[in-house]
Amino acid sequence: MTTDIKLARRRRKFRGNLAFHAFGIGAAFFFLAPFIWTGLASLRSGTEAQSPPLPPWPTNGISFDTYAVLDTFGSGVWQHTINSAVVALGTVVLTVIVSLLAGYGFSRYRFPFKNVCFVLIIATLMIPFQSILTPLFIILAKLGLNNSLVGLMLVYVTLQLPFSVFMMRNAFDAVPREIEEAARIDGARDLKLLVRVLLPLVMPGVATVAIFAFLNSWNEFLAALILLSDNDKYTLPVLMTAVRAGRLGAINWGAVQAGVMVMTLPCLVVFLVLQRYYMRGLMAGAVK
Amino acid sequence: MLKRLLGAASVATLCLVSSASAQETINMWVRTGIGKAFTSLAEAYNASHENQIALTEVPFAELVQKYATAIAGGQAPDALSLDLIYTPAFAAAGQLQDLTDWAKGLDYFDSLSPSHVALGTYEDKVYGLPLLVETSVLAWNKGLYREAGLDPEKAPTSWAEVETNAEAIRALGGDNYGFYFSGGACGGCMIFTFTPLVWASGVDILSEDGKTATLDTPQMRAAVAAYRSMVEKDLVPESSATDNGVNFLSFTNGKIGHQSLGAFAIGTLVNDYPDIDFGVTLIPGIEGGTSSFAGGDNIVVTKDTPRLAAVEEFIEFAYSPEGQKILAQNGSLPTRSDIAAEVLAGLDPRLQVAVDAIAVAKTPYTLLFNDLINSANGPWATFTNAAIYGDDVDGAFANAQAEMQSIIDNAP
Amino acid sequence: MTSSALALAKSRTSRRLRTGQWQGLLYIAPAMALVIVFFLIPVLFTAWMSLHNWPLLGEPAWIGLGNYTRMLGDKRFFSALGFTAYYTVITTIAIFVIAFPLAMFVEQQRRGVAIYRTIFFLPVVVGLATASLLWVWLANVDSGLFGPAIRMLGLSEKKVNLLANFDSAFATIVVMVVWKIVGFTMIILLTGLQSIPAELTEAARIDGARRWQRFRYLTLPLMRRTIALALILSVTGSVLAFDQFYIMTSGGPQNRMISVVYFIFNQSFVSFQLGYGSALSIVLLGILVLLSVVQLKLLRVGDEK
Repeated sequence: MTTDIKLARRRRKFRGNLAFHAFGIGAAFFFLAPFIWTGLASLRSGTEAQSPPLPPWPTNGISFDTYAVLDTFGSGVWQHTINSAVVALGTVVLTVIVSLLAGYGFSRYRFPFKNVCFVLIIATLMIPFQSILTPLFIILAKLGLNNSLVGLMLVYVTLQLPFSVFMMRNAFDAVPREIEEAARIDGARDLKLLVRVLLPLVMPGVATVAIFAFLNSWNEFLAALILLSDNDKYTLPVLMTAVRAGRLGAINWGAVQAGVMVMTLPCLVVFLVLQRYYMRGLMAGAVK
Repeated sequence: MLKRLLGAASVATLCLVSSASAQETINMWVRTGIGKAFTSLAEAYNASHENQIALTEVPFAELVQKYATAIAGGQAPDALSLDLIYTPAFAAAGQLQDLTDWAKGLDYFDSLSPSHVALGTYEDKVYGLPLLVETSVLAWNKGLYREAGLDPEKAPTSWAEVETNAEAIRALGGDNYGFYFSGGACGGCMIFTFTPLVWASGVDILSEDGKTATLDTPQMRAAVAAYRSMVEKDLVPESSATDNGVNFLSFTNGKIGHQSLGAFAIGTLVNDYPDIDFGVTLIPGIEGGTSSFAGGDNIVVTKDTPRLAAVEEFIEFAYSPEGQKILAQNGSLPTRSDIAAEVLAGLDPRLQVAVDAIAVAKTPYTLLFNDLINSANGPWATFTNAAIYGDDVDGAFANAQAEMQSIIDNAP
Repeated sequence: MTSSALALAKSRTSRRLRTGQWQGLLYIAPAMALVIVFFLIPVLFTAWMSLHNWPLLGEPAWIGLGNYTRMLGDKRFFSALGFTAYYTVITTIAIFVIAFPLAMFVEQQRRGVAIYRTIFFLPVVVGLATASLLWVWLANVDSGLFGPAIRMLGLSEKKVNLLANFDSAFATIVVMVVWKIVGFTMIILLTGLQSIPAELTEAARIDGARRWQRFRYLTLPLMRRTIALALILSVTGSVLAFDQFYIMTSGGPQNRMISVVYFIFNQSFVSFQLGYGSALSIVLLGILVLLSVVQLKLLRVGDEK
């Protein structure tokens, strides 16, 4: 009698697990398949790359032809990757510093027009930035920052601010004030307090802000295309517009696959390495 | 050599700050997707001259926007190779350098490609000069003709004949198709390859003064019907319906029986696809006759550039027999008719067909080219897709006619 | 309060407040500087441009509210608005319908759940432009995956060009966007789910509430703020949609996928009418602010303070 119940329970549990993983694997396939398909397809040889990816894997030997073709666009893949990396890392560092300070300011201090300032920062999210590109270009030119990676970085940092400041304010809100009071009594003040005592406590938030800054600046194409005007300074997404435009009246799908991989892999790596902090940061930030 | 010295001297006087011997770097932009003619020319120039060209390739879809933004920010290149149909609009906006006096001083000014000079001229001043010249012609694949039992040397002379031959080629089965065009709302492709069908009858989509849209004509209806019929008979690859121009040269895959294309493509086919055996002929009109679109690029100079003399030196190089030869090898037709025969000697004879097309070729002149014709979301591009692929031909005509007229009427 | 009492209260805290004020402003100064230089000034400039007939090239001319009145009679603008609304509604529903079950799925305490969560989130890290390019390849009629696969499975005699007609092209884009975005919404919803105390759900279960009832009367109301955040982010993103239409269909077939931002882009950079484009941007900004306020009101987010 009891063994029957146990057996039934175990069977039910097994069936539950089966349903759980069946659903999980099915959904995971949907999310992973496009990556797998492109990744494998990009390893096919030149002529094969133009045919449908059925099957996606290379049938006559792995080849890096598609990447070689990609390298013939613009000033070569490496140059553009380096540009992208410089812009993305610069954006990450600046975004973290600026939003760390602002988040702390908004969380801990009271000052006039605080709400106006906060709303203004958040409002940046609401304008189609495509429509302010021309004024942006003119302002950058006035500052002597046009056609420079630094200018592009500053624009990206601004576009990142609404999300980042929001995140960091919530992260600081979640830190009990007592910790600060204790540190103050120990003689820590201002920036020292912020960096030594509080920074470690808001690390998940920082990681989240950093990841998003990286992803968005790495992937943005329209501002990069308009604000830069030197082959050597173009970032990877601009290279991709050239690939998309095709050459000699034909789009090279192999180069598209290779380009998508080059664009995607760093994002996946950054995310997978930092995801532990990141998920925690995002969760902490969103509940508030 | 003397010319070079003169060039250097005038450069030096223009740039008082730089020392007399300083070489100049000319910043130039060129759109992607027009073949290698211009880049090869720039390379040859850099190899043989002290002044250097720094070339930036800009994706063709974003070139106009980028150039305009750059001008607004005071950061425009010294010169650029501009699709000639944009020259009137840019000149009208007062952003281009007036080249009239210098250009008219060239011995061979009168033999420069007339449609380019016409489009480069705004209110009797010359703002753009021909750089790259191409015309549209109809190409057929001789290999497929042979396989389908057709006479490979007999060029089709009417659209009925194109359709019959296309059916024979489609009957080969597999991925062999009879005809191709970029039907996915590629206004630029279709004005280049499709309007010659009606131009041959002396009909146009805009009135002479550009103030009235005259899209809905019996000739245009007949031309649309011819293309529709080929689509309905499955003679055209499915990809055509969404090709916004990036696959314009599908002919290069060797499985297309006929396609209207440009002289640049002849260069590309000859140099990069030697396996494809093809012939070219003038595009037949829908009611007989032939026509063509004279297209290509004008070179324009940004107003008040300090490197004007250097740019002029480059233009003269482009017009020299050596420069003309380099351009022609890459499919850009001779800009100077006085030395055309000399330039074409020894080159692929099929280029001669494209040169002959100049005689019957047209180019629309309108300040609204981008709005009306070229934009993927403009009335012409939308029309070509809706009329040929849509279900409602009458509606497509009515909508496009109305929208073209409204754009013309609302133009500032 | 009388003014003297106010002054008294002020003077007591003035010293601390004043230094506090300065410090607070100092901390947010870099952020404010960036926002002012690269957002506020460009927006004000855009507003200024919207009062002009401002060609992309050439001299601008003051026309007052001309651009705004022109908008009222512009059929193409309204069809762009209509399409954007349609797209926003469809994608938002699609995203929520899929994100909710996924969030509940990854909320379970089971082995392997963290891996699933990571996988569902992966497409979020890809840029929208890159994702569009990837899917435009997958949807390509000759070299892609879907069309040839459909033909290979014998579902269609002819080659299938998914992007050639509105319905299948729109469906492709919606699937792409769901693939790309849903992981993000899932995580936000997950945080909301996790903030609901387990005892509450347990109590409801003991009271005999069925699964749907628990979801409807317990989970949903308690997640109001989270849903509001997810909703605003999703709606804002959809209203500003541009890349996917620009890259995947060029606004076609037959111009039926012109979103508002696409229309603004075309007006500014294809028709060279920056002034009109600016006026449209200002109106769009207004619409978005309004939408956000309405959503916050509807979900009564302010109430629970």
